[in-house]
This record gives sequence, structure tokens and C-alpha cells, in this order.
Amino acid sequence: MAGFRNTVERLDKPTDPIPPPQQNRRRNRRDQDEEPEEKPQPENDPLANATTLYVGNLSFYTTEEQVYELFSKCGEIKRLVMGLDRFHKTPCGFCFVEYYTHQDALDCMKYIGGTKLDERVIRTDLDPGFEEGRQYGRGKSGGQVRDEYREDYDEGRGGLGRAYQERERERERERRERERDEEEGYRRER
Amino acid sequence: MADYDRRRGGGGGYNRNKRRFRDDDEGDSDRRGPRRRYDYQPLHLKARKQLLSLAESPLQRGHEEVQALAQLVADNYADSEDLKITFLDLVPRLAIEQPLKTPFVAGVLHILNTIEPDIVGDVLTRIATRTEEKIDAGEWRDVKCCLKLLASIQPCLKDDGVFPILEELFNRAGELQATSSDDTIGTELVKIILLTIPYIMASSPGQFHQQASDLMEKTDIIASEPHNLLALIDPYPPAGSEGSLSVSALGLIQKQLQAEASNGWPLACLPKPWVMPQEETEQREKLENAPKHDLPSISIPETVPNGPRPLFPEVYFSVYADEDVESVPPMSDIASSLIRDSLLDTINILDFNRNVTARYLIDIDCYFADGTFVKRATPFDRLRDVEPGRSTWKPEDVAVDTVFCQLFQLPAPEHKLVYYHSALTEACKIAPAAIAPSLGRAIRYLYRNTYRMDLELSYRFIDWFSHHLSNFGFTWKWTEWVDDVQLPELHPCKAFILGALDKEIRLSFAQRIKGTLPPQYQSLIGPEKEKESPDFKFRDDKTPFAVEGREIATLLKKKAPDEEIEPVIERIHTQALEHNLNPLVASTDVFVTCVCFIGSKSLSHVLACIERTKDRLLNIGAASELARAQIISAVAAFWRHHPGIGVSIVEKLLNYSILTPQSVVHWALTATSTVSQSGFAGSLPGDALAAPHIFEIVFATVLKVTGRVRQVVINPSSAADAAPPSADGAPMDPEQLRTSEIAAMRDLFRVMNDALVSWASATKDEMMETGDSVSEDRDGLVQKWAARWLRVFQRRSAIEESWLLEADKHENLGEMTT
Repeated sequence: MAGFRNTVERLDKPTDPIPPPQQNRRRNRRDQDEEPEEKPQPENDPLANATTLYVGNLSFYTTEEQVYELFSKCGEIKRLVMGLDRFHKTPCGFCFVEYYTHQDALDCMKYIGGTKLDERVIRTDLDPGFEEGRQYGRGKSGGQVRDEYREDYDEGRGGLGRAYQERERERERERRERERDEEEGYRRER
Repeated sequence: MADYDRRRGGGGGYNRNKRRFRDDDEGDSDRRGPRRRYDYQPLHLKARKQLLSLAESPLQRGHEEVQALAQLVADNYADSEDLKITFLDLVPRLAIEQPLKTPFVAGVLHILNTIEPDIVGDVLTRIATRTEEKIDAGEWRDVKCCLKLLASIQPCLKDDGVFPILEELFNRAGELQATSSDDTIGTELVKIILLTIPYIMASSPGQFHQQASDLMEKTDIIASEPHNLLALIDPYPPAGSEGSLSVSALGLIQKQLQAEASNGWPLACLPKPWVMPQEETEQREKLENAPKHDLPSISIPETVPNGPRPLFPEVYFSVYADEDVESVPPMSDIASSLIRDSLLDTINILDFNRNVTARYLIDIDCYFADGTFVKRATPFDRLRDVEPGRSTWKPEDVAVDTVFCQLFQLPAPEHKLVYYHSALTEACKIAPAAIAPSLGRAIRYLYRNTYRMDLELSYRFIDWFSHHLSNFGFTWKWTEWVDDVQLPELHPCKAFILGALDKEIRLSFAQRIKGTLPPQYQSLIGPEKEKESPDFKFRDDKTPFAVEGREIATLLKKKAPDEEIEPVIERIHTQALEHNLNPLVASTDVFVTCVCFIGSKSLSHVLACIERTKDRLLNIGAASELARAQIISAVAAFWRHHPGIGVSIVEKLLNYSILTPQSVVHWALTATSTVSQSGFAGSLPGDALAAPHIFEIVFATVLKVTGRVRQVVINPSSAADAAPPSADGAPMDPEQLRTSEIAAMRDLFRVMNDALVSWASATKDEMMETGDSVSEDRDGLVQKWAARWLRVFQRRSAIEESWLLEADKHENLGEMTT
């Protein structure tokens, strides 16, 4: 059926890629009035038969067993790879879940993505498949990039962002030094 | 709702990529700063949007909305090719994807027929084509949805309109039923006929009474006869002298329609947006004198196809059936079937977006006639205050009831159970104050009735309940069941409590769950459950083989080669013989316990350890039934406080073929002195039957076996290629593989049957020996559990046999595809 499109958005589609830069978007302005058909999938779409999901926004304390318990509701799990901090080799809040079938992975997108695990709303995305090395966080400090500069306090993910914490510590140090200098200056003056 | 709405808000762009920035429907705050807004919207998109959002707003008056859209389409149909394409494509699609809106779509067509009748002609052609396609594909629900739309525009049709198609469908149904009493397509066709009639009658008041009554006279024989398979899928199987209280959904519709006919077809719950208010005399007149069209021919093949899903008869299931005030339509009222049917289709069709499903669950009152329900979120206690003569039906109860009828559908609903969990979760998130109390009453009903429920459904109840709570901070009013904490473990209510708590812990952790429980429940979660990992029994010197146990653990930890482990095993064998113990059982217990201990950090750890010791484990597994049982016993004993992990490990051992399905079933269902379940499930014989995780492990094992058989039957050659070659290195012969897999499955069911029959009929030696009254109670409970188990697996067996039969038929016809 050409141009088939549901009357309701589907939840089992991969997340859109990062939007192109501003100029490209402007160039497309003319097309905006056209009915946006579902973009034809490229010939060899790496996600067309994906059986793996990337799972994000886990708590650092969520265990493999908990992931198993929830994700098994969509089918038997073939493999589970927990995301680890590159340096400490401790969980850093994501994992890859691999099913035996593509359908199970799609169902997981529809029925589990966006629900809670360990009292956190988790995110799922279709993934072309796990490869060695991808289990480690890619942030500067070893964890996930998103946990570097986070300014909100997230108890399940190590409090504030690491770089943010680092920066705060730096500022604190500077402030103390300044105070000490001022104090010393004051003393000297006295 | 449609993807256009959300985009319109932000800067007028229709670029797909922008969508990621807008997570809410109201998202008109563009993070890239303000941009010029476009009020201009192409006509076809406007029409699309209006069509898609028909009836969604409770503020709009049905007939006005319908008139406005009809006018828009009529004015531009000839000039805008885009609009024409959109409209003709969308009308049938909407009927199939969002059947709750069908009466409103029909309303648009009624009005269009008074302005530009040719458009209705074009639409009819489209719907007819689509109906035919769906019939050819055996997509019976879609056929029903198409016919529903056609029935709703019956006044636009010449002569008898839709009736001739229904007659023809009935002829096929009659033939099918005459050929086999097990036939399910025929009954499905009758269901479609019966659910189409009310839409004809609602759109053509005062007409076609004779045609309807003639047709219903014919369907009566098929609809009223309880289907052969009905007993198999009864959620409340009759126990002892009590007969089954369950009612066939099909028989119910037939009866309700007859009642409706005798009242002159009021069909009060169906919306009729084509009915204009009295003051609009001109429009009313136009509607009456609008031209009529020939219904394009819809041919039905001589042999109607089965369709992609196996069909089963349905039982009418409600969790609000025994309320003292009617909070859902009573079973005597056609509204109970009509509302359920439309909502049920909506739920099952929209599984690809549970948020939209949940929206429909909440907005259900928008899609039925005014006055069908009480105001949303009316508390149950206030229903008593409703004036007599007005509806007391709570929209939330009707919505929740419909989801539960799927969750509790046997043998299985259309989608994975977790979909229905998620739909309820979303509904609860959208309108907690309205939905949560309804869920609470449903839970209480199910809890009260769990003792007489089909065991598979009791297990589903535990699974849903714990999963649902995990999405809402694990809060439940446990205090109301406080007295049941004292009940014996074999009591169904206590089994539910224990099972639910265990499942909650699995999704969370013991300490957290303990914190949500009243004091009386605290003892149910022992300190062992809060430990990071279980104790290693060989740390205690009093444990037999403690030295060897520690030694093997150290070796495993070092990843020492098997040659270093072998001498220790030999020592265990020698000592065991000295103590008159079975040497292999003794060494297996030590070795498997050590594997569990070394792998106790996480499932990955234990899997890695199993992978490293696979050869030894395979040899043990191949040695004897006793050895296999001991593997399971050791895993179970080590993880007795965290049965979920034990279950996962056993499943993995099955995948490695270290264990056989038979060994798991045998271990679970025959507790003898040598094969102890080691505190994994109670301490007395028969306790295991009440433990949900024992049911879980057996159920999962059976599913593995039946799933495998289906795979092999559907695609024998690829299964044979994947199978390990036989001893002489020759590849597996597909036909031989098929025969052996089927035989193994039948064998498994036979083993289960034998074990369960002996429990159910109290011929177990363990039960015969005791004679005091306490244990007689106990024996009675065990027997009941066994009877419930038996039913579940006899059903599974029957389903697989009928599937095989069906597969054979197709193969003979050469229709089998992958």
C-alpha cells in the first residue's frame, strides 16, 4: 500500500535523528505545504530488523535482574549489556537489551518505553546492535555525556552532573582562597 | 492526536525533524525562539485535521461539527485534488483505525449526500473495495469496522442496503458450522452480523424491522448454542456442583438484540450526529429527500479465509458485575456489548500508541450519545444519588472493564499482556482521580474471586498488579487485607499476596517494598531477602563437603581449567559413597551451588560462569534424571529467597540444553524425598502448587516447548539446519525433527497430566499418610490447586493440538507460508 500512514502516530519508530542545521531547514521551507509523507526508509536501513534496544535514564542502582524482570514482559531476552562507567566499571544509567525477534523489540518500544522501572521513566530506542566498547559511557569523566553538565540533582544518577560538580568545587575553592586572601589582607592592613 | 495538530502550533513548519522538540500536544513554545505564525493551512490538511479530530472535543455539538466538515469537503472536492485524495483515503482508514468515530464520519457522509451526492458515491466505492480486500485477507475485525460504517449510512443506500451482504455472510457461516462444530470463523461471522445490525437500525429509525428480525431468527441457532470450545476458555471454570456462571459473549448479543427489537430499536447509547435539531427543518428535509446509491458489489469468496489470528469464542467478562449500583451497563442491555465492542476494537487496533488508547479510554463518553454515562469522575458512592431514570454508568468503569476483559481473555488477547498493562498505566496517568478508584474496585473484585479463577488468570492478575504498582510508587491499601496475612500459604488469597510481593521486589528491592507495607506484613519479607547476595552454605564447616565446596568456589573464581576441578569432584564422590549417598547427586549439589555463588553478583556473572563450565554441566545433565533434578534443586536452594533469579537461571539452563523441559516439570510437580524443592516453594508436599513462581517456571518451560514445535512445523528446513547434527554428523532430517519435536511436546503434556492428576485425585503417597483434620483441609486445598493447574495445561495441550491440525490442513492445501 503506497504511502500508507496511520491516523495516529506510532510509538515503535526510531527517534528522529538530530535535526539538520538551521540553513537546511530554511531551504526546506517551500516544501512545508506539501503533505509530509512518511520518509521512505533507506534501502538498507540498519534498524529494519533491529532486535536490540538502547535503554536510557536508568538509575545507577538498577540491577540487571530488574531490567530482566520488566523487559521479559515483551519476550525472552537474548542478551543484556549494562552500560558501565569507563573508569570505575560501575553501572552508569543505560543498557542494551537484545531480544530474539524484531517484533519483540518493536513491542518493547510501544509498551515499555516511557514507563517506569525502579520508579524512573525510562527511554527506549531501536538500536542497530551492540558492539564491544559501546557498553562504556562516553562522557569525559567516564559516565554518560548527559551526566556531565546536568544542573538538576538526580539522586539515582549520582546527584549533580560530574563536570558541573567539578566546576562547583572549583568555584568553592576559588571562593575560599579569595576569602583567605581578603582575610590575610585585612590582617595585614590591621 | 494526528501528527499535524502538534506541528501546527510551532512556527507553522511541517518538518518531521522538529517533532523531537515537542513532547506535549500543546507544544507551541518553540525553543528556537518565536517565528512568524502561519494561519494559512492547505485545505486538504484542514479537512484531514477536522476529520481526524471528529467528536474529540466534548464542547463541540456533534451535528454542527459534522455539518461544517461536510460543507468544507463539498465546497472544495471538485477543485482540490489533494483534498479529494485525502478525504477518500482517510474515510475508510479512519473507520478501520478509530471505529469509535464511525458514527460521526457517517454523519459527515449523510450531510454530504444532501450537498454533493457524487462524493458519497466515490466514498462508497472506496469502502466497498476496502471491505472486499479485508474479507479476502480474513481480517475480520476490519471487515466489521467497514460494515459498521456502511450500516451507519444505510439511509444513503438503495433498497435493503447492507442486509444482502449480511445475508451472504450468514450463508457462509451456516455452511461452516454445518461442516464442523469446532468451527470458529462461522461464529465470528455471526458476531459481525449481529454487531452490524444495530448500526443499520440506528441510522434508519423505524425501517427494516422485518429484515432484521428475519436475519436474527437465522443467527439464533448459531449464536445461542454454546460453542464447543467455550468450556476451555471459561475464566471461572465450574468447580464441583457449581455450574459455570460465565456467559458466551455471542449468545449475549443475540439476546440483547432481541430485547432491543421488542422495544422498537431505541439503541439509546449510539450517537446519531446526522439527526438535526427540530429547528433545522430545511436540513432535516434535505436529509430525508437525499438521493440513494447502489451499494457497489462486495464479493465474498466461497471458502472464507481463516485470517492471521486464530479465533476463539468469547466469554463476557466484567469486574463490576456484582456491584449494588450499576456502574457499567448490565448484561441485559445491548449497550454493554456495543460500547465494549467499539472500545475493544479501539484498544486492540491502537496498540502502536498506548497514549492515544488511554486518551480514548478517558474520553469514551464523547463517542456515545449524551446521557449514556454519568459525569466523568463521579465517585462510586455518589451513584446512589443519581436521579431515578438517569444513567449510573461510570465511564471510567466501562473503560477499565474493557481493558480487564482483554487482560483476562483466554487463551490470550490479541497483543502481549504488557500492552494492556501500559494502557491502564497511561489512563491512570492522564486522569488519576477518575481511574484509580475504579482500578481499586476492580482489584478488590479480582482478589475476592481469585480462588475460583482460572489459574493462568490468577497469575496474570499478580503480574499486572505488581507491574501497575511499580509505576505508581508501590502504593496500595494493604491494610484492607491484613487479616489474610495469617492464612495458610495454600490459601489462594495468601498465595496472591506472597506472589505480588515477590514480583514487586523483583521490580524494585526488598527494603523499598517493605517500606510500603503495614507492620502486619513485615514478617512476609524476611531479612534474607534484603541481603545483597545469598549465603554460601559451604562457608559453614558443618555443611557436608564444606571444604570441597570452598575449594571449587576458589577454583571457579580463578577460572581454573576443569582438570583442576575434577580431583575435588572425585573426592566428593568417594566421601559420598562412604556415607551411602548418591555420588553424582552430592557432587552436582556442590558444583552447581558454587556456580550460583560465583555468579551471584548478577545474571551476567552467572551466565558467564555457566558458559565457562558448560561442558561439565552438560555432562551432568546428560547423566541421569536425578542429576538434572539436583541441578535445579541446587539453583532453587541457593536462590530460595529470590525465586525470580532462580527462575531466570533455570530458563537459561534450558536454553543451553543442560536441563530438559521434562526435568523442570518433573522437579516442580513431583516433590519426593530425594528431589526436594529446598525451601524454594514452601516446605510441605503440595506447597509448590500454590507458589506463583513454580507456575511461572513450568509455564515458561511449556511455552518454550510449544513455541519450538510451532517454529519447526512452520519452517522445518531452517529449524533442521539450526539443529545440532546427529551423532554420525549427518544433518538433521526436517521430517524427523518435526516428528520428534511433536512427540516430545506430547510427552511433556502427558507427564504433567499424570503428575497433576495424581495430586488432584489425592492419590499422592504423601497425602495418604496423614489423617488428622488439619491436613485434611490441607489436602483439600492441594487438590483444588492441582485441579486448577490441570485445567491450564490441558487447555495449552488442546490449543497446540488444534493448531497442529490446522497447520496440517494448510499444508495439504499447499497454503503454508512462513
